[in-house]
Amino acid sequence: MLTEIQEGKALNSVVKHITQEKINLYAEASGDFNPIHIDESFAAKTPLGGTIAHGMLNLAYVSEMMTSAFGRSWLSEGKLRAKFKEPARPGDTLTIDGKISCVEQKDDVSYANCNFECRNQKGEMIVTGETIVKLSSDKE
Amino acid sequence: MPVKTISYEELIPGYEFPPATYELSASLVSKYLKAVDSAGDGFVPPLAITACAIAAMTGSLSLPSGTIVIHASQELEFFKLVPIGDTIECHTGVAQKITRGKMSMLILELEVFDKGKEKVQSGRATIALPT
Repeated sequence: MLTEIQEGKALNSVVKHITQEKINLYAEASGDFNPIHIDESFAAKTPLGGTIAHGMLNLAYVSEMMTSAFGRSWLSEGKLRAKFKEPARPGDTLTIDGKISCVEQKDDVSYANCNFECRNQKGEMIVTGETIVKLSSDKE
Repeated sequence: MPVKTISYEELIPGYEFPPATYELSASLVSKYLKAVDSAGDGFVPPLAITACAIAAMTGSLSLPSGTIVIHASQELEFFKLVPIGDTIECHTGVAQKITRGKMSMLILELEVFDKGKEKVQSGRATIALPT
């Protein structure tokens, strides 16, 4: 967990290697068996040229970074907005970075606004977005 | 009982998919954590709940064979911790259906409630279906 909540503070990065096995596991766990994720011969014939990871798998890594930084505050009162820019593919290594963009006070409650980016090993942006975490209430 | 499906052509804004109930058992959570390569923290990961809600939608939607579905954006808000073993009910529906040239887009909304009917999560997903 972060011990210091202040503007500009970087969150601990999360690094994950994507494999077809992990994508298949996610398909099993989520029930999303769209062939673009799991059928390599089908996916090879599409404009994407091969299988891609589920967007929600990439977001799970973002959530892991947020949980590591904010613990239960994230799990119970987090907000997230994400845009999927490019697909993550088997063989990619994803690095999820985030930082606190500002800390706001609204009605005696503090909120940490964070920006995050998920890039592959080539530096290509895979997912980008913002999160908001309720930190505490002065009345609590 | 087989799940009643609806075709993409039949979807209209305001359509609500049949609600789906999931028991978030230890084995289901464990399977999810293994898939996302995470140790977990004793509660149901909120994105595992989102995955259930999305599965509730996709399981009720019939797309032409070979359709590629691309997740374009996602918004989520979490309202409370969900203990492992709880049961949730997922409500999902179509907010907008947009066609731009050869690209169709669906904006889908989701709300998830616990067994006490308290909202645990809401969200909005944009799904692109290139034709």
